[in-house]
Amino acid sequence: MLKSDLINILVVKRNVTQKQAESTIETIFDSMKDALCRGENIEIRGLGAFHVKHYEGYQGRNPKTGEVIPVKPKRGILFRTGKELRDRVNQSEEPGGTSSTGA
Amino acid sequence: MTKADIIESVYEKVGFSKKEAAEIVEMVFDTIKETLEHSEKIKISGFGNFIVRDKKSRVGRNPQTGEEIEISARRVLTFRPSQVLKNALNASAEAAEEAKRAAGQSPPSA
Repeated sequence: MLKSDLINILVVKRNVTQKQAESTIETIFDSMKDALCRGENIEIRGLGAFHVKHYEGYQGRNPKTGEVIPVKPKRGILFRTGKELRDRVNQSEEPGGTSSTGA
Repeated sequence: MTKADIIESVYEKVGFSKKEAAEIVEMVFDTIKETLEHSEKIKISGFGNFIVRDKKSRVGRNPQTGEEIEISARRVLTFRPSQVLKNALNASAEAAEEAKRAAGQSPPSA
C-alpha cells in the first residue's frame, strides 16, 4: 500500500476532495517527520512508538588502508510496535491467505 | 508527539472541523493497521516503509538464569526510515549542534 492508496481510500470512504485527501496524508507524515527532526519521540496508540536515538561519534578506520577517519555523531529512528498491533500482525495470515493449510 | 498533535496539524492545515480531522486521522491509522495485519507492506515515500517479516524460531536464553528457551517462529512489524527522513534528521541535528557551538563561543549580539 502506497501513499496514493491511502489518499484514494479517504476520497472514497470520507467524501473529501482529492486535494483535501492529499493534503491530509502529506500533513500527517510531514508533522511526524518534523517532530522527529526536532528530536521528539512519537507515540501513536495502537500502532507503535518512534524514538530518536543519538549515536555518539567515534574514530573509525578504513579497513583497507588503516587510515583513521572521524565518524560524526548521528541520529537514527527506532520503531517499537504497539502491543495491540504486534499481536494482530503475529496472528495474521500470509499475503493471499496461503498460511492456511489445504485449499 | 501523540495522535492529538497530528489531528491538530491536520485541523490547521486542511480546514476540516476538529471532529472531522480526528475521525480522518483515526481512519488513516486504522487503515494502516489493517493493511499490516494482512502482512501487506506500507510504503510512504519521504517517510519510510512498514514491512511485516517472518522470523524463524530460534533458541534464546533467559539472561537471568542462563536457561535455554525456544523462541517460537513469529511475524513481526519493522519500520525502515526512508533515506530522505534519515538525511533530514541528521541535517537538523547538525544545524542544532552548530547553533549550540556558535552560542557557546560568542553570546548572541543581535
